[in-house]
Amino acid sequence: MNEPLSAKRRLMLAAAGAALLVVLAAALAPLSPGLQAYARGLAFAVLAGLSIMAVAFLVALPLGALAASGPRLIDWALRFACDLVGSLPTVFVAAVIWAGTSSTTSFVCALGVLRGLEQAWLLRCEIVRLEAEDAESVPRGLGRTPLVAFLRRRLSAALGPLFVSASFSVAWLTALDAAVSQAGLRPPNALETWGLLLGAPHPSPLPALLAAGSVAWLTVALHALFRPPGPGVAAP
Amino acid sequence: MSVRAAIRRLFGIALTLIAVSVGMFWASATYARRPGNQHASPFAAFPVFFNPRPIGVRELSSNALHAIARGGRPAIAAQISLARLGGAALPYVLPALDSLDPHSRERVALALTPVAMRMEVGSPDELSDGAQAVLFWTRFWQDRAIDFRTASVRHLTSRLAERSIALRREDLIHVDTFALPALIDALGRVDTLEDVARIQRLNSVLSHITELAVGCPPGASVADARAVADTWRDFWELHGSEYSALDGPRRLAASFVETQYGKWLAAVLRGGLGRTQSGERALDLVLRGLATTSFLLFVGLGGGFPLGVVWTRFERRSHKFATRVASAIAGTALAAIPCATFVRWFAGPGAGLASAIGLVTITTAAWVSRHLARSTMSQSVSPIAAAFSVSAPLGATYPPFVLSAIVLVELIFQLPGLGRTAALALASGDVNAWMAASLSLASASLLLRHAADLIRPRSSSSQMASVR
Repeated sequence: MNEPLSAKRRLMLAAAGAALLVVLAAALAPLSPGLQAYARGLAFAVLAGLSIMAVAFLVALPLGALAASGPRLIDWALRFACDLVGSLPTVFVAAVIWAGTSSTTSFVCALGVLRGLEQAWLLRCEIVRLEAEDAESVPRGLGRTPLVAFLRRRLSAALGPLFVSASFSVAWLTALDAAVSQAGLRPPNALETWGLLLGAPHPSPLPALLAAGSVAWLTVALHALFRPPGPGVAAP
Repeated sequence: MSVRAAIRRLFGIALTLIAVSVGMFWASATYARRPGNQHASPFAAFPVFFNPRPIGVRELSSNALHAIARGGRPAIAAQISLARLGGAALPYVLPALDSLDPHSRERVALALTPVAMRMEVGSPDELSDGAQAVLFWTRFWQDRAIDFRTASVRHLTSRLAERSIALRREDLIHVDTFALPALIDALGRVDTLEDVARIQRLNSVLSHITELAVGCPPGASVADARAVADTWRDFWELHGSEYSALDGPRRLAASFVETQYGKWLAAVLRGGLGRTQSGERALDLVLRGLATTSFLLFVGLGGGFPLGVVWTRFERRSHKFATRVASAIAGTALAAIPCATFVRWFAGPGAGLASAIGLVTITTAAWVSRHLARSTMSQSVSPIAAAFSVSAPLGATYPPFVLSAIVLVELIFQLPGLGRTAALALASGDVNAWMAASLSLASASLLLRHAADLIRPRSSSSQMASVR
């Protein structure tokens, strides 16, 4: 029971969880306008969450690896960019990006880059920590780690915190959206999302509860999907 | 940490804060440009960071002169502009009259009639005809050009500021808006009743030459006089360059000063971090909000981190699989859902701060426990050691997370904190309030990051640790 599931089974479980939500949304949507809004929000949350994760990984993996093991300039630039972006509550950064971008796609991509910077820093810190703790486990030639060894051993071992962060992508997006709506910083022509259901001044109880439950469900599913191998790890 | 490292760190923080202020200003300007925005800053007409072609009184008066000389529809707007520029434009307009053809010269001379009336140097009869008007202004410049010198106007202004004599007031009115820089400089600090009397004397001249109805009645208090002085300084911040000649180094400086960012920086340097749209000092706004936000931050941080460590410890030591699963699901859900939305359904207005503290603490604990539970480090060592070990990455990602949570709870429970202040200021286009509140939040975030980096254990045996 305590054995970790294979990656394939975890992926299937996560997909099944998401499919269950889609079926639920499709069944509930015709019942009331609030539930219809919930169903529309689900589509946005899943698609935008996945896009944010994909863009974040694309940014984080090369940038984090280069900052940890490449030229110091990249490390300095990443630290500076993270300091800059991280010094403001993300809700304000998101509000500004939303107001400044012309389409939802570019808004989601910009959020992905933002998330990618944060994850790149997590990856960089984890690689540096692993190097510091266990410098001998990866072979070195002339003081440098060969690329293949770096990718296979060091990078794969350092992905844990990145996955944790990635599993919160849908929750991060929804919480941001709710906070932006609550703050009155949401563009008037923006899509109907779960953030609007949760952040409205007088939210309808059932759609809001369903949206919050679905966020938790998706996050738990993603958490389980990205579960790192090893003993003694609680599921999901 | 050595002194050198401390200085380097402090320098880094200062540099980052400067860059952050630029970023936040850009954010505010970008947000203000959104479609359908009705809350524009008074400085919205200026470029945000760099003004490639700053415009002073010389350019404005020259443009107006040529537009009036050409005639047609643009001449109407130019006449209004020239009348507003008044005495400040005369040193550029009157010497240029000779370069115009007779008809154009008459049109320009007639356009200056409102200025002559305001300066109390001419009557409508003297200026009713084009030829007469040209003659009047030619003679005026021959007689009075010597009065349009900065040193003599400053001398006149300082004498008016010292004592009230009707003649001094008239002398200043005769040079009209040319005296504006000296009059604004003479406003000075307002602390005593003597200062109030000075403001009343200067305000009388300023109101006359700008034709703006700013009142400072005889029985005005120190606070009233201070408000009047601030009104004139705000006017000068907005329109000062229109009455000043931008030459040499001043033109170079104007490329940066005559921008939205430059105007904000000037307001900050004037003291009190500038003034908000409601006329309050932004610094007072920050001081009022700081107590709530820092209380939420430190109680949430102080309670949430240890709770998160205990949570991870409990989860790892639990022998029952079901308990571990339930704990993990609860942690993930609590960190994922913006719980404040639901708490406000049950909590009354009196429970606002208590609910907010509880939420920030629980959210922090859930967030920390999830990160510790999933950290590769936490598999082999105690959660406390893991917490210290991963403090640097957590320190980088935690501040934006917790500050967003604080903004949300402050908004939902209507707590007078910095997050709510910043959100409302951004929405209403109040640049000074936004910059003051968000810079305070940024400082808190930077301090948290650096504190987390400082408590990170360093391995002496590792080259990497020492290098990075």
